[in-house]
Amino acid sequence: MMPLDRRRFLVGSGLGATAALLGGARLTPAQAAEQLMVVQWGAAWIDVSRKIVETYTKETGDKIAWELHAGGAMAIVAKIRPQWPNVGYNLISAWDPVFQAMIKEDWLEPVSLDEMPALKDIPPAFFQKDAAGRLMSVPLSTSGAFWGYREDLVDKPIESVEQLLEPRFKGKLCVPYPVNLTGLLMLTLAMQRGGNERNIEPGWALLKELAQRGQIGRVINNNSEFINAMSSGETSVAFFNIGAWTQVRKNFPTKILSRLADNRGFLFNEGFAIVKSDKDKVAASKRFANYFATPAINEMYNLPLGEGPTNSKAKPGDDIADVFYKPDELARYAYIADFAYMASQVDLWAKRWETEITPLLRT
Amino acid sequence: MRLALLADDAAVWSSRLLAVAVVLFLVVPIAICVVLSFDARDYLGGFPPTAWSLRWYRAFFDNPSYLDGLVVSLKLAVLATLIAVIAGTAAALFLARSRFPGRAALETVFLMPKFIPTVVIGFSLLGFTAAVGIRDAFTRLLIGHAVIVLPFTIRAALASLVGIRPSLVEAAVSLGASERRALLDIVVPLARTGIAAGAVMAFVLSFDEVAVSLFLSDPFTQTLPVVLIAEMRANLNLTIAAVSASFLVLTGTVLLLLDRTLGLDRVIGQGIYRT
Amino acid sequence: MTAGAPRSWGLVAPALLLLVVGLVCPLVYLARESLHPFVDGRALPTGWTVTNYAELLRPAYAFYFFDTLRFGLVVSALALALGTPLAWIAARTARSALRRAILGLLIGLLFTNLVARLYAILVTYGTTGPFSGFARLFGLSAASPGFAAILVGIGLLHFVLPVAALTLIGTFQNLNPRLEEAASSLGAPRWRVALGILLPLAAPGLISAFLITFAMCISNFVVPLLLGRGVVLFTTNLMYVRITEIANYPSGAAIGIIMLVLVFAIVYGLSALARRLLPGEATS
Repeated sequence: MMPLDRRRFLVGSGLGATAALLGGARLTPAQAAEQLMVVQWGAAWIDVSRKIVETYTKETGDKIAWELHAGGAMAIVAKIRPQWPNVGYNLISAWDPVFQAMIKEDWLEPVSLDEMPALKDIPPAFFQKDAAGRLMSVPLSTSGAFWGYREDLVDKPIESVEQLLEPRFKGKLCVPYPVNLTGLLMLTLAMQRGGNERNIEPGWALLKELAQRGQIGRVINNNSEFINAMSSGETSVAFFNIGAWTQVRKNFPTKILSRLADNRGFLFNEGFAIVKSDKDKVAASKRFANYFATPAINEMYNLPLGEGPTNSKAKPGDDIADVFYKPDELARYAYIADFAYMASQVDLWAKRWETEITPLLRT
Repeated sequence: MRLALLADDAAVWSSRLLAVAVVLFLVVPIAICVVLSFDARDYLGGFPPTAWSLRWYRAFFDNPSYLDGLVVSLKLAVLATLIAVIAGTAAALFLARSRFPGRAALETVFLMPKFIPTVVIGFSLLGFTAAVGIRDAFTRLLIGHAVIVLPFTIRAALASLVGIRPSLVEAAVSLGASERRALLDIVVPLARTGIAAGAVMAFVLSFDEVAVSLFLSDPFTQTLPVVLIAEMRANLNLTIAAVSASFLVLTGTVLLLLDRTLGLDRVIGQGIYRT
Repeated sequence: MTAGAPRSWGLVAPALLLLVVGLVCPLVYLARESLHPFVDGRALPTGWTVTNYAELLRPAYAFYFFDTLRFGLVVSALALALGTPLAWIAARTARSALRRAILGLLIGLLFTNLVARLYAILVTYGTTGPFSGFARLFGLSAASPGFAAILVGIGLLHFVLPVAALTLIGTFQNLNPRLEEAASSLGAPRWRVALGILLPLAAPGLISAFLITFAMCISNFVVPLLLGRGVVLFTTNLMYVRITEIANYPSGAAIGIIMLVLVFAIVYGLSALARRLLPGEATS
């Protein structure tokens, strides 16, 4: 494919829209060809999205330009704030806490079941809502963050997070920054010692213990750093999201600890949020998001990600069957965190990490 | 006596050895990177690769962002260098020819950006341009890059200008030339090595600039280093190795051309003791 | 040269304009931003507070500043030490081809993108690389977090060595070869010539090169970002995280201002010190 200069793209699509409006093209006059800018995660997410979009572009004529999340999805919020409302993005791939943050900023376009019929098959609980109860996100995947380890690098199976304090795991732990996963690491460590989101001190105590004993080998910031740390064998145990774990699982035998006796698996949803700043592109954005939510596409999207589809008519992949929960297991093993609260604590936790933990890690 | 001579020779040879070691230190990782760009595996495995493939080169050329980034970087570097060389040479001319109480302070002010962390420059420009209403990413980037490379163009031009005898300008003026003509026709050509060296330095610095570009880029205008980092953080795979290897070939060719036409030693100058 | 008041202020106007628009105003904006409060996950555009600075005055943050400066000093010293032999050969050799080869190598390295070079280092010295044994020289394994500091050092060295060497070539070229010849003809061994004559003469240039590399090291944030394994953080990284991941602009701005003040203090302090200790031309 010829690399196209994006400025020419915009002009081109503008001309295309005019031509369509004058009634010449194969497109119906109500749907002129649009160029949408979508922010998506890298690795498997962008690969499968590009494949899906090839067909979409042929059917509708819309052109999609991609920008990749360079770190956690929350970074996009920081990027948008100074530029609002002159933001180039039309759709943003994100997950629950980021949806919440964007809803609070009033950046999102509400979605409705009438405009986007595919949403009818998605359980209502998956949607993120605003204060008035309107649906504000388009959930595409059910995902979770779990502890896990590479079976070929660990001799005896791990049954509890407490075991990670043992000397055999010195330097073998890979953990995300608090900013990543909106501090779910702090939560899982806190819950290990009887705490929760609002009582996070036990988590800090356990974290400090791990740091002081030198168990932490690597602190990662995004999916690709995680995949590399675990693939290279530098670290053998980690806590991160299933989408990234799946990439590691493709090449190495990995056990995901989603059914721990004394801890939980942290569930959340990922999907698209439609940015409302560019009014002309909102309809096309809704069309685009709806396409991803239809059963066949939703299934195709989630297979390589190792995440569960949100459309109840779509089938989940076989490889994640062992990870996700049957309805009766949810109460015992799963946990849905109060992301709104955690998002407000991230700045504080990041500072505590910088002042209390990082100095311990260098020895 | 013999011992002293031996020690002396040893000192000379060990310093030569050190120089070779340094060259190896600088070159070997890049060579390994080039070898890895032909690796067929999906993840960073052991060296040397067990299977070979051109897949990463295909991925590189299939991905338009790299070439877009290169175009933006080149445009930016050329324009920023142009601005910095013109503004910098003019400022250097002024500094070289004046003597007034605040002159040293002014020179220090001009050299200041060299010592300011580029992250600080990038972020402050982002906020300032947003507050003032400059929304075009390319303009923002241009201002940032020009500011960063300005000290280098000034310094390089100044170094050359300082060696030019004032009597030349006086002679030209006494023969009837206006001061402007004297400067443009005599002084600037004499200082051209310094100005050229400054231009090369400016171009390279702008092309390689990461921090400022990270803050000031937007989705439609990204410099090559920004694309590389974004791809690295989103998608750490060997496509970057393929990108680096390709650019190495490009750089090598450019350098060879530069050597054939100008001679590389002219670019940096020969010093005042070379005949 | 023309003495007294200059006649051509117009010459300096473009550069001044660029500095004012591109540097001075943004820095003023930065200072203002650092005094805004950050409440409940949002930076507020009004109101004044010094908490951003107060937070940073804690000893834990002093650790980061200290660490960053330490890296800067060590790597700069190493860069000078390692760059000198190469620069000397390039400056003094009679063989033009060798000189051009060294220059070509150094300039070529400058042109090679830093990100690509860091990636190459990651791949070479990391756990899967051919030089993974290098870590054992320091009693560490290539996978240990302690090695991240070494990696960052290597990365910074790769970054500044070409620049240091090129600057040194310039300095050495301007040392009169006759002085060396005179000294050796009087019977002084090479090392005495180097230490007793060349070093004092080259000192201003060496100090200049040191200060430039130092500033480059501590301003850098890509090297710790890509090679630091999350364990080595420069103050620039703290700034970057605050601004891009947490959107805490006031705190990020405060770090920026503190860094600015520190760098200036150190650079100008060191050059003032050098000027006092060394007779002769002023350093830049």
